[in-house]
Amino acid sequence: MINATRKWILLKLSSFLMVPFMIWFLIKFVSIYDGDYQSVVSVFSNQFMAIIFSIFITITFFHSALSISEIFEDYISNENTRKFANMMVYLSSFLIPLITIITLCKI
Amino acid sequence: MNNNPISPHIQIYNWHVSSLVSISHRITGVINILALSLICFWTWSLLLGNESYEVIFNFFNSFIGKFFVIGFLWSYSFQILSEIRHWFWDLGYGFELKTSKVTGILVILGSILITVLIYSNRGILV
Repeated sequence: MINATRKWILLKLSSFLMVPFMIWFLIKFVSIYDGDYQSVVSVFSNQFMAIIFSIFITITFFHSALSISEIFEDYISNENTRKFANMMVYLSSFLIPLITIITLCKI
Repeated sequence: MNNNPISPHIQIYNWHVSSLVSISHRITGVINILALSLICFWTWSLLLGNESYEVIFNFFNSFIGKFFVIGFLWSYSFQILSEIRHWFWDLGYGFELKTSKVTGILVILGSILITVLIYSNRGILV
């Protein structure tokens, strides 16, 4: 299987998984965003919430990294710049969910 | 490096609903991941305690904070509907010009409707 096909399949699979989590997260987020410290901590310290949120951000960052690399393909003509931009996106898409999951474990 | 033109030529094409939804899909995708990164930083701030959290609490309860949340809600709603539109395209449906225009309008109007519905029913839906 060529790389572009694999990337397309991964994009479609992750998008299929991501959408139900997005709907859940939107409903959840607007109900808690303006809460005080204790109420927000109690939401994120809930094990079910922490697990679902962790899955959501993992899939979403993975999908976004693939999508943004497609945008770079279209708009960045310099290969070195494109490689660097891709590397930064993949790195942040790995580190941000990882640190968030570690944070959720500690709350 | 080849000399093929980069795409899409958004500054050359006439604007249509399809092109508007297509470029908005990309723009909202980037906005969404930046906003989700901020939400992840928000969860990190919980570890720093109540005093640090006050800054974010005040932001979210300000006019700009509410604008951010409603904008985030619309951007995600748009992305969801546009993603569903893409699924139908992947299955081979909806390529006709008229259908594409109608589904594009549905994505725009639907995202506004979802934003209003979720925000006005917040707390009730959970």
